[in-house]
Amino acid sequence: METYQIEDLTFTYPLAAKPALDHINFYVSNGEFVTICGKSGCGKSTLLRHLKSILTPHGERKGEIFFNGADIVDIDQRTQTEKIGFVLQNPDNQIVTDKVWHELAFGLESLGYDNQTIRLRVAEMASFFGIQNWFMKNVTELSGGEKQLLNLASIMAMQPSVLILDEPTSQLDPIAAADFLYTVKKINRELGTTVILSEHRLEEVLPISDRVIVMEDGKLIVNETPQKAGEILKDMKHDMFLAMPSPMRIYAGLKNGLACPITVSDGRKWLNTLIGDKTVGKKPHAPTPQAPLRQIASKFSPEPPAICFKEVWYRYEKEQPDIIKGLSMEVAAGKLYCVVGGNGTGKTTTLLLVSGILTPYRGKVLLKGKDVAKMNGKEKFSHNLGVLPQNPQSLFVKKTVELDLHEMLDGSRLTKEEKAKEIERIVALCELDGLLEMHPYDLSGGEQQRAALAKVLLLNPQILLLDEPTKGLDGYFKIKLAGILKKLTDNGVTIMMVSHDIEFCASYADICAMFFDGNIVTENDPQTFFSGNTFYTTAANRMARQFFPDAVTTEEVIRQCSINS
Amino acid sequence: MDKDVFSSFHPLVNFVWFTTVLLFSMFFMHPVFLTISLTCSFVYSVVLNGKKAVRFNLLYLLPLLFFVALINPAFNHAGETILFYLKNGNPVTLESIIYGIAAAAMFIAVILWFSCYNAVMTSDKFIYLFGRVIPALSLILSMVLRFVPRYKAQIKIIANTQKCIGRDVASGNFFRRAHNGIRILSIMTTWALENAIETADSMKSRGYGLPGRTSFSIFRFDKRDKTALLFMVILIAIVLYGAAIGQNNIRFFPSIKMPVMNGSSILIYCAYFFLSLIPIIIDAAEEIKWKHIRSRI
Repeated sequence: METYQIEDLTFTYPLAAKPALDHINFYVSNGEFVTICGKSGCGKSTLLRHLKSILTPHGERKGEIFFNGADIVDIDQRTQTEKIGFVLQNPDNQIVTDKVWHELAFGLESLGYDNQTIRLRVAEMASFFGIQNWFMKNVTELSGGEKQLLNLASIMAMQPSVLILDEPTSQLDPIAAADFLYTVKKINRELGTTVILSEHRLEEVLPISDRVIVMEDGKLIVNETPQKAGEILKDMKHDMFLAMPSPMRIYAGLKNGLACPITVSDGRKWLNTLIGDKTVGKKPHAPTPQAPLRQIASKFSPEPPAICFKEVWYRYEKEQPDIIKGLSMEVAAGKLYCVVGGNGTGKTTTLLLVSGILTPYRGKVLLKGKDVAKMNGKEKFSHNLGVLPQNPQSLFVKKTVELDLHEMLDGSRLTKEEKAKEIERIVALCELDGLLEMHPYDLSGGEQQRAALAKVLLLNPQILLLDEPTKGLDGYFKIKLAGILKKLTDNGVTIMMVSHDIEFCASYADICAMFFDGNIVTENDPQTFFSGNTFYTTAANRMARQFFPDAVTTEEVIRQCSINS
Repeated sequence: MDKDVFSSFHPLVNFVWFTTVLLFSMFFMHPVFLTISLTCSFVYSVVLNGKKAVRFNLLYLLPLLFFVALINPAFNHAGETILFYLKNGNPVTLESIIYGIAAAAMFIAVILWFSCYNAVMTSDKFIYLFGRVIPALSLILSMVLRFVPRYKAQIKIIANTQKCIGRDVASGNFFRRAHNGIRILSIMTTWALENAIETADSMKSRGYGLPGRTSFSIFRFDKRDKTALLFMVILIAIVLYGAAIGQNNIRFFPSIKMPVMNGSSILIYCAYFFLSLIPIIIDAAEEIKWKHIRSRI
């Protein structure tokens, strides 16, 4: 039986010229796991919100949506609340109460269950999710991943028959995201709950999905099993491929008639059949050892390094353990320096130390040879240091992007023409044309990021600090961001970036450093860095390392494959 | 804190006990009563907060006790036993000194009880108790407790972000600082309103607003709660009987007059003593029980 049947759904936002959803037709069977993907702004969220009428946005709607055979408009709110679970994007915003147990009970309270039933349901859920240990905690004590699990659990306590998730992992780090998706799959497999999920980080999702729906400009373009979807998109030469897992991208880059691989292990098998026998004998060319850039830069260039740590120690409170433990490092001018590593290893703290928000209790942080602790705000932040916050929203003040950019130059001594010229230059650099009249909060995640970056760049920084700039961005926006960063480094700006996004770092960084336990364990150019790692490396490298150990990006794997086959 | 067993009783038991103990310490000025409330509150605060409480009590409350005791005779000149005259001609009387000491003891006891109250009556217990009277209030309180820390954290993030573009609230002249401060609040407001939309969605999607909402709680009223409450009621009744026959207070002015002690007054003292000691007795009994169990293992 079909859980959802969507017939010819068209939806237009008020005052919008073209429909956000355009003649959508599809069904979801009972117990299916369906993933909806597409670029930001393609209508994924709008579509998902139509599946629960209380969340449906205002606008003009045509077509029908049937839930379990009944028109969704005719189903009362109580049934919808109970049967249709909806998890949103931001883990923090969804939590309403201060205690974990109260949050778990929230939905059941609304439905008017008595204490005894709620106690049982909550206990069941806590045990299923393995969260009984934080049952009595305050929600503020939880990490982002735990918060999102809590949101999921508090929905599941109502025992819905279908679970809808709108980009649930976009704000999580990769490990928490994998955990979360594993739990969703467990719910799907063990409880038979139908799952409809939208996502742009597809590496983890596609292997566990039964079906993929690809959307573009409000239209549904592919509705197939992941494997088939890959093959169709390959034939269409569609740019949605940017978001697909590396094995699929590599598959699409090479001419072959084989089935599309989805996971890394599929990919390895596929590579084996594709080029396995041909390369016997001429084993991969040895990895070309590259000159250690850092030493050259620091020892022989007359200029001091842009950022320099000298045995820096830091802890938040006297009684707490050290977060940064004797960190020494140098970032050469004009490089994109990426710091990767797990959660809670001190990466973000390191950025705060560079910006001088935190001061080390031992050791020194030097910016171009000057001690940060001794610089005043003006010296530090005008024409010197720029910091892009993890959440760009904490930077916006005005009603439109344009006013916001102008606001940034308040108090500077430039004339009106100079200001306008400067803004024009930055707008062009950050590709903000056409967005200037919008409210900053109305932009998509990637656009907000670029607007925030533009604001920071108006201060003309020579050193730019980025904290997780690719968080929540889809593949398309990541490439745009990478382009901007490249232009900046070409102009001599030094960029230090903290990220979980291995693929991004491998493709665009000049130097990658691995952070662990309050210190940098190793640093090198991305190729050497990632090809030397076995676990902590890109999917492309994990897939192809048996043949091309030095190929870390999908492009490189494709290139080497086509030479060898 | 975890070792305090009284905290694990039903919030109603906690609340009734604290209310009575606080009111009794405030209103009964009989020396025996004061001694009992001062000692018991001191012991219980140490049981709850450990070494920290000892330090606080000795370092701050003891000087406060002397201060209050001394300040009273300086301003209060009632009483018939004049000891000596101050330079401005006002008399210092024995009664006012004793009243000062009594008032100081009462004051300190109340502070100590409140420090215990804070440790035992956590926000969720308070919310639970008042949520039963007004269910909507309990949700509001719970949301306030969720959002205040959240907003505080966000303000800090925004302030840091602003600092990183050279707009520090801690530097520059007054107008500059005020301007920067207001900007932070303005960003905060926009952020809060924008993000509240998703919170509202999350509440709606979980059925908030449907008629017939219930209020879940993790607290249970067990037999031990009933027993404890029963004991408390009996002890309170005895103490109140004492108040009715005038055993619990003394007269300070113009001359000190204590009620006559007799058999019933001993009973009343004992009742008050045990009432104030309930949590400590419960804790001690539990401790002994554990020792006993462990020795059998």
